[in-house]
Amino acid sequence: MIIMKVNEWCMYCGECAGVCSRSLIEVRENSLKFDKKKCKECTICIQVCPVQALAKEE
Amino acid sequence: MLIETDVLVIGAGPAGSSTAKHAALNGSDVIVIDKKSEIGAPKRCAEGVSKEGLKKLKIEPSNRWVIKELSGVRMIAPDGTSVWLNEEKVKLPEAGYILERKVFDKHMAMDAARAGAKIMVKTLAKGIRREDDHLVTTLETMGEEFEVKAKIVVGADGPESRMGRFLGLKTTLKPKNMESCAQFEMVNVKMEDPDSIEFYFGSVAPGGYAWIFPKGDDIANVGLGILTTETDKSAYDHLLEFVKNNPSTQNAQPVELNVGGDPVGGMLKELVTDNFMLVGDAASQVNPLTGGGIITAMEAGVYAGEVAAAAIKDGDYSAKKLSKYQERCEENIGVKFKRDLKVKDYLQSLSDEELNSIADAFHDIELDTINTAELIKQLIKVSPKALLKLGKLF
Ligand SMILES: Cc1cc2nc3c(=O)[nH]c(=O)nc-3n(C[C@H](O)[C@H](O)[C@H](O)COP(=O)(O)OP(=O)(O)OC[C@H]3O[C@@H](n4cnc5c(N)ncnc54)[C@H](O)[C@@H]3O)c2cc1C
Ligand code: SF4
Ligand code: SF4
Repeated sequence: MIIMKVNEWCMYCGECAGVCSRSLIEVRENSLKFDKKKCKECTICIQVCPVQALAKEE
Repeated sequence: MLIETDVLVIGAGPAGSSTAKHAALNGSDVIVIDKKSEIGAPKRCAEGVSKEGLKKLKIEPSNRWVIKELSGVRMIAPDGTSVWLNEEKVKLPEAGYILERKVFDKHMAMDAARAGAKIMVKTLAKGIRREDDHLVTTLETMGEEFEVKAKIVVGADGPESRMGRFLGLKTTLKPKNMESCAQFEMVNVKMEDPDSIEFYFGSVAPGGYAWIFPKGDDIANVGLGILTTETDKSAYDHLLEFVKNNPSTQNAQPVELNVGGDPVGGMLKELVTDNFMLVGDAASQVNPLTGGGIITAMEAGVYAGEVAAAAIKDGDYSAKKLSKYQERCEENIGVKFKRDLKVKDYLQSLSDEELNSIADAFHDIELDTINTAELIKQLIKVSPKALLKLGKLF
């Protein structure tokens, strides 16, 4: 199973949440939560991040 | 805990504060919430606005948040050829301001509070559901969950917007409609003219552009927006490269890094549903050509606030009643955006060589105004491709 990993340098800008077609990403002021079970692994959120803070973890 | 109100506004950016202010001024009970502990910070913005825009909104410029007045524009082609639009060459009808957004956003929220709105900071909206003829929103503050029952909820929750989706509105953005942006606020910036804003086009920022917006003295916002569908590198990597190569930033040092998404796909088709409206970046109310969204977010906020207050007075919060908001947005914002979207598509289709030759041709042209329509008219004269793609529009 692939799990999304949020790296420590995430800046909580919310761009990833804006493009997730399943609305699985909740961006708080200083944290980011995924609803991992519903993720279809499209990796679009990884693609748009301005600082490459998201990664797939096998 | 359950709180009741007429209008709940989610997000206290320019869109939310403007909506809250105008709903309150027109007699509604309003609560506006933001997940941030400091409204306006961190900024996701290069901080440029037009004077005309503020005037239209009847907002008096204040020296607390206007940090710099501009007198010109410099556009730079990939080979370094500049097209200057400044007071020497062009009679500027209306130039712009650079804001200090952290201060500006707070002041807009203060205006909303003075009009009667209640503000809650560090408060996150987590979910929303329909119950009879109202909406119940689940909020969280300091680890505590509570609910707000509102007749109307306004989603002013920025580019990360999810509130509309929970009610069935299609607000998910495709990567080709969302600029991925990175910016340094820098010191020791040496601009050719520190009173002009600069735009850099071409492969420095695939699918977007790079900018240097002066903030007074040797300080400037140096940033760029890219489409991640056009490049394999991140916005941040493009920014590092831009700063390394640009003559103005050779000795510049960053004091702040900002990142974020800018929705440039044109205004969303559906802005309302029963008891609910979308405003600002959440509705993609960002000029698709320039990426500027402060003024339009606030303009839409005026419409949303007025329409919400009228709906509360009439006791009718149906989509039909709220569609007046959508109509006003389409008329005053949407029509212009559709045209600018075509110009953006054209600009994005140009290679570095084509951009260079256009800049070269522009060099010798005397312009007498600075608005987009006039620029495009001149563009059509120098570029056959522009005539083909834009000729009918202008
Ligand atoms: C790098 C960059 C440069 C830009 N430069 C310019 C420029 O020079 N000029 C210009 O006019 N525009 C510019 N823009 C666009 C401009 O910043 C936005 O259009 C503008 O901020 C939109 O205002 P808003 O109120 O809709 O959204 P925002 O300002 O993003 O406000 C949304 C608010 O909602 C809050 N929020 C979100 N979700 C929740 C939730 N679930 N619960 C509680 N609160 C929530 C957020 O914390 C935020 O405060 C730029 C954008 C970027 C990314
Ligand atoms: S886009 Fe990147 S930096 Fe922004 S919130 Fe998502 S993971 Fe963090
Ligand atoms: S991989 Fe796709 S579905 Fe999963 S969180 Fe990212 S955008 Fe959403």
